[in-house]
Amino acid sequence: MIDETLVVEKGVSAGDAWITVEPANVHRSLSGLKDEGYQLLVFLSCVDHLADASKSWPARYELLYQLRNMDTKDQVRVRAFVDGDPPHIESVHDLFPPANWDERETYDMFGVVFDNHPDLTRILMPDDWVGHPLRRDYPVGGEVVEFSEEHETWQTAPEKA
Amino acid sequence: MSVTDTSTIGQGITVNRSGQTGAFGGELLTVNFGPHHPSTHGVLRLIVELDGEQVRSVKPVIGYLHTGIEKQAEALRWQQVVVVTDRHDYLSPPINNLAYALAVERLLGVDVPPRANALRVIMSELTRLSSHLIWLGTSGIELGAITMLMYCFRERDRIMDLNEEISGFRMHTSYIRPGGVFADATPRFLEMLDVFVRQMPGYIDEYEALLTDNPIFRSRTIGVGRLSAEDAKRLGASGPMLRGSGVAWDLRKAVPYSGYQNYEFEIATSDMCDCYGRYLVRIKEMREAVKILRQALDRLPDGPVNVDDRKVLPPPREELETSMEAVIHHFKLFTEGYSVPPGDVYVAVESGRGENGCYIASDGTHKPRRVKFRSASFVNLQALERMALNHLIADMIAIIGTADTVLGDCDR
Amino acid sequence: MGIDALAESLGQNILTTTLGRIVGWGRGNSIWPAQFGLACCAMEMIDSATANMDLGRFGSEAFRASPRQSDLMIVSGRVSQKMAPILRTIYDQMPEPKWVISMGACASTGGVFNNYALLQGVDKIVPVDVYIPGCPPRPEDLVNAIMILQERIKAQGFVTRQ
Repeated sequence: MIDETLVVEKGVSAGDAWITVEPANVHRSLSGLKDEGYQLLVFLSCVDHLADASKSWPARYELLYQLRNMDTKDQVRVRAFVDGDPPHIESVHDLFPPANWDERETYDMFGVVFDNHPDLTRILMPDDWVGHPLRRDYPVGGEVVEFSEEHETWQTAPEKA
Repeated sequence: MSVTDTSTIGQGITVNRSGQTGAFGGELLTVNFGPHHPSTHGVLRLIVELDGEQVRSVKPVIGYLHTGIEKQAEALRWQQVVVVTDRHDYLSPPINNLAYALAVERLLGVDVPPRANALRVIMSELTRLSSHLIWLGTSGIELGAITMLMYCFRERDRIMDLNEEISGFRMHTSYIRPGGVFADATPRFLEMLDVFVRQMPGYIDEYEALLTDNPIFRSRTIGVGRLSAEDAKRLGASGPMLRGSGVAWDLRKAVPYSGYQNYEFEIATSDMCDCYGRYLVRIKEMREAVKILRQALDRLPDGPVNVDDRKVLPPPREELETSMEAVIHHFKLFTEGYSVPPGDVYVAVESGRGENGCYIASDGTHKPRRVKFRSASFVNLQALERMALNHLIADMIAIIGTADTVLGDCDR
Repeated sequence: MGIDALAESLGQNILTTTLGRIVGWGRGNSIWPAQFGLACCAMEMIDSATANMDLGRFGSEAFRASPRQSDLMIVSGRVSQKMAPILRTIYDQMPEPKWVISMGACASTGGVFNNYALLQGVDKIVPVDVYIPGCPPRPEDLVNAIMILQERIKAQGFVTRQ
C-alpha cells in the first residue's frame, strides 16, 4: 500500500486522479503503488512550467508517472516537482522496465538526470546535440517564412516562454 | 561499441569484429542493420551481436525520424494541433486525431453528439483495417509472400477512397477534431461503405487462404519471437503484442470511449505467444473491425455532427451574413483560437499497435503548454531484445515485422 | 558504362543525336528506384508500386534495396537531423547517372514542420530533379513526377549532370 504520509497533495483533474509526492520519495511511492496493483507504467514524462501564470508551481519541472491497474482498470498520475540545473531524480527502471527509454527521452528533451539509470544517453536527437529541445526557453527553430511574423519569432528563445 | 561509430551508418549490413568469443570458440560479430534497410519497416537501426547465425543481443537505435511534433504543437493553437497529430503514427491518422480530440474535449468539458461518435467509430475501424492491411502486406513481402502486398494494397486503396469521400484526404484526414468531426458523411460515402463491408470478409478469406496454412509461412513464424504473458505485461507491451500472448486486454472494452460499449465484438487473443499467434490476432481483429463497421453503419443515428458551442467551433457560413455575434466568434476562433481551462488530462485509445494516448497540459492560454503522445511503438520496441534472443538472424526479419512498429510513432 | 568514355573521346564537337536519343530512351525506360521510404509518403510510394498504379509499367519493376544498383532516389518522407548524413552517404553510393525525386512537402521544403528537428528541404544536401508537392501526394502525383523525369532523361541523352 502506498504510505499516506508520502502524499503531499491529491486531486482529480478532468476525471484523472493524481497525487503529488516529494521527488526523494518517488521510488518508494511507485513501489508501494506497484504492490497495490498498479503494474503498468503507461508513460513517464515532464512538463516545463517556466513562466506559467495559471497557478503557483512549487518548482519548474513537473515529472509525471501515469500508472494503471489492469485488474481494476483504475489509473493514477504521480507528480513530482524538481528544480535545478540539471534537475536530478531517482530512476524507476528497476520497478518498471518501460521506464528505461522513457527516462532517456525525458533526459534528451528536458535535461532531467535520472540517477542509477543504466545508460542515460540521448535517444531521439543526435548524440552530439547541444541543448534540450522541449524546454520552454529553447526556440522552436526552423526557417523564417516570408511575410510570416509567427515563423520569425520561432527562431529565438521566447521571452515569456 | 559506441553508438556514435559512424563508420557503418547506412551501409545495410556490415561486419565489425568486436573480439569477444562465442559458444563454439569463434568471435562475436557486431552487425549493423542500418537505418536504410529494406526490411526494418522504416528508419530503425539495430546493432546486433551474432554468434555464428544466432543473435546474442539486439540494441535498437531510434531517432532517425524525430520530427519535433511535441515542440511544434506548443507553437500552434489548439485547433491547429490536429494537423500534426495525423502525422506521428502515419498508418492510423484518424485514431491519433481521436486521442487528441478526446483529451481536449475532456478539458473543455464538452460532449459530442451521438452521430459524431458513430462516425468516429467508423473512421477508427476503417483505419484499423487499413493499418493491419499495410502490416500484412509488408510483413508478407518480407517473408517472401509478394502477392500479399498486392492484395492488401488493393483493399487499402478502397479504404483510401472512402477517406477521400468523407474528408477530402486519402491519408492524413484531420477528420476528427475537438468538438466533433470535420463534415457529415455523404450518401455516397454510406453506399461505398456498405459495399465495402459486404465484400471485405471475402477478401480476408483470400489472405488467410494464402498464408494461414502455408507450410513456409508457418515454419518461419511458429515458435519464432516468443514473448510470454508475464514478459509482455512486465515490459509494458500493448495491442496485438499483448493479446498474442494470451492477455485479453483491449482499451475499447476496458476503458470504453466514443460509444464502443454499444457495439458487440470480441477481443482477439491467441495462446501461441509467437509471431504466428500475433498474425492470427490481427486477422481476427480485421474481422471484428468489419463487424463493428456493419453495426455502426446500420445503427447510424441522425442529428448534428458537431457540438453546438460557438466558443469551440465556427458558426455555419450562412449565419455570418445575418448575425454580428457569429462574425465575432468566427473572427476570434480564426485569429486567436479558443482557450482551454488550466489542467491536465490523459486519454488513451486502442490503435492498431496498442495503446496510443495523448496527454495535454493547459495553462489557460490559446496554445498548449505540453502535448505528449504516448506511443505504443516506443514501448513495444523495447520488447524486441527479449523476443529475438537466441534466434537466427533470418528470424529477426519476422520478429521486426511482428512487432509492427511505426518509426514515426516511436520518434515523434 | 562505355558510352561515357565514347562521349569523352568524341569531345564537345560532334553532335550525337540518334545515339543520344537511344541512350536517353534506354535510361528513361528502365529507371530503378532505390528504396528510400522514410515516413508517410513511403506508404503512397508503395501504393504506386502495387497493382493500382503499377510503376512496373514504367520500367521500375524492381525497387532495389542497395543504392549501388539503382539510379533514382525517391526521398519520400521527412528528413531529420540524425538521418541527413545517412541520406547523403546513400546518395554518394549511387553510381552516375543518378536522379533524385523529392516526394512530398516535407522532403521538398520541410512541410508542416518548421522546427529544429527537420531539414527544411532535402535540396539542402542533395541536388533534386523533380519536386512533388502534397502531404502526402497521391500515387498519381508520383507517377506524373516519374513521367516528367523520363522526359528530362530522354532529352539529356548522353550528357547528364556534370
